[in-house]
Amino acid sequence: MPAERSYGMDHEHYRWSPLPERPQLVWPTGAPLALGAVVLLEHYEWQPPEDAYTLRSASGGLIKLPDPDYLRLTHREYGHRVGIFRLLDTLERHDVPATVAVDLLTAFHYPWLVDHCVERGCEIIAHGVAASRLITSKMSIEQELDTIATSIAGIERATGRRPVGWFSPEGVESERTPALLASAGISYVCDWPNDEQPYAMTVPEGSLISLPLFLEADDEFALWTRRMRLPDWQRLIVESAETLRHDGGTSGRLLMLTLRPWLTGQPFRVPVLDAALTGVDDLGPIWKATGHQIVTAYDDIRSRNPQVRP
Amino acid sequence: MIHIPAELAPARVDYLPMIRRPRIEWPDGARVAFWIAPNIEHYEYLPPRDPKRNPWVRTPHPEVQGYSQRDYGNRVGFWRMLDVLDRYETRCTVSLNLAVFEHYPEIGEAMMSRRWEVMSHGIYNTRYITSMSEQEEREFLLESIETMQRHTGQPLKGMLAPAVGNNLRTPDLLAEAGLLYHADWMHDDQPVPLRVKQGRLVSIPYSIELNDVPVFLTNADVADFAANAKAQFDTLYREGADSGRVMCLAIHPYLMGTPQRARYLDEILEYIHRHEHVWHTTAGDIAEHFLEHSYDEFVASAAALTGEHIGHERQG
Repeated sequence: MPAERSYGMDHEHYRWSPLPERPQLVWPTGAPLALGAVVLLEHYEWQPPEDAYTLRSASGGLIKLPDPDYLRLTHREYGHRVGIFRLLDTLERHDVPATVAVDLLTAFHYPWLVDHCVERGCEIIAHGVAASRLITSKMSIEQELDTIATSIAGIERATGRRPVGWFSPEGVESERTPALLASAGISYVCDWPNDEQPYAMTVPEGSLISLPLFLEADDEFALWTRRMRLPDWQRLIVESAETLRHDGGTSGRLLMLTLRPWLTGQPFRVPVLDAALTGVDDLGPIWKATGHQIVTAYDDIRSRNPQVRP
Repeated sequence: MIHIPAELAPARVDYLPMIRRPRIEWPDGARVAFWIAPNIEHYEYLPPRDPKRNPWVRTPHPEVQGYSQRDYGNRVGFWRMLDVLDRYETRCTVSLNLAVFEHYPEIGEAMMSRRWEVMSHGIYNTRYITSMSEQEEREFLLESIETMQRHTGQPLKGMLAPAVGNNLRTPDLLAEAGLLYHADWMHDDQPVPLRVKQGRLVSIPYSIELNDVPVFLTNADVADFAANAKAQFDTLYREGADSGRVMCLAIHPYLMGTPQRARYLDEILEYIHRHEHVWHTTAGDIAEHFLEHSYDEFVASAAALTGEHIGHERQG
């Protein structure tokens, strides 16, 4: 059946909203750009349950090897053991607060690491069960509800706080996900890399804001999938920030980095992140914030000025 | 119900975060234990059919171009690479398809006269452990040890699985056969104790990132590879002031021994040799040092960390 060619989106998760037609967005410090970093602590299982849906070609390792693929699986474990500390040190050096997405298996099996992130002042957001168990339309609604509720409860149990943010494993959703997240009490979701500002999603219950990550700078997308050269990635981050600061003079913009400890946390990559952030710092004032701080600021602006609507 | 496994498979590694470990002290106060792993391989012209893996997917067998590209490594690339390595009197840890001793004894002599350490990389790169039964895998290990003994007179200390394919049981069988280390774990910058049914086994950090295969089989430049190797060294060298680190440079003569790339191997080695406090060593020596000086402390620290959290849970 041909699609119905009606005005706006071909789904009801959010309204069509071309950026130039929106009211001005001014960040709390008055800076033209908000910068954040989502750091992923995700476990990829050696033996996922039989009904689990995984990406056909998950990143890490060499090539897709027959199970057990030691190279890929151990490559990803490097993040929890070694890489995370380099990433957090680097972000702290540049006063960028980390928003750490922790999946359930990490929360359950790496309690020391979760405590460590909390002690360092990171915001912890929920990240599903595992990188090897994606939320897709192949799941029943009961399974999806269970996955969301159990993941959130796991973070609450590990940190003592109920998470307000969510990033689905590998950014994969079913068509039910935003509504189910909102009804589970989640305030913001990072799955939709489609904007340079936060925006409200349309949900039947609760309220949900989309916090778009910047896919082009996502370390896996740039460095693994596209095999970008490290100096080019550095340049991409700095030049993007430069353009966003410029464009943010009209209406505030957002730059959310997505960083994987097993990837950017490698000894030869982490200096490039450091250099990129130095380049960004040299551009002038930027508001560096967690996902929650950004979404709260957006919500506050929206409530004071009813014209700021998606 | 969401299934949360009580223990994460394969249950061989206790979590011990880098910043909570006992200090590793390498000989002479070295910050980085640096080992070079040339992979000297033979891919068969007509490999036996394997149910899980096909080495030559481009054409029906034989795949003459793929075969020749690798054969070039043994006929030509190896010798150019050797010239570079000789400039630094490098004692490599060769990741060897052991049948190379029989097919190409000149390569065997060149390596042995330089006192290279031999790490098993299986017999051929086209015979995969992943497809072996437990009995076949035991026989394969015995054959590897025997081939090694016959050609070098030395015991076999470690393995990087042929074409990096393993089974879940592989570490148990390695320890049972008396090997000290397994190089297929990309999980750390230090050796890591691996839980095995009997004896002791450690992982020695190899690299799938600082490795010419994934790099040069994609659109990558060799100058970038050299820059990455130097950056890798710089980070580990800086961190190694606190506790010893391991750096591995994994190369293949068919890639790094080509005329356009060999000079960059020289550039990397020249850079590293400019630094003091580097232990130029082999995987076997790193494993022995770790087993003697750090293994017990690492195991105890990991157990203590786990215990702390079990206590914490009970209080909570």
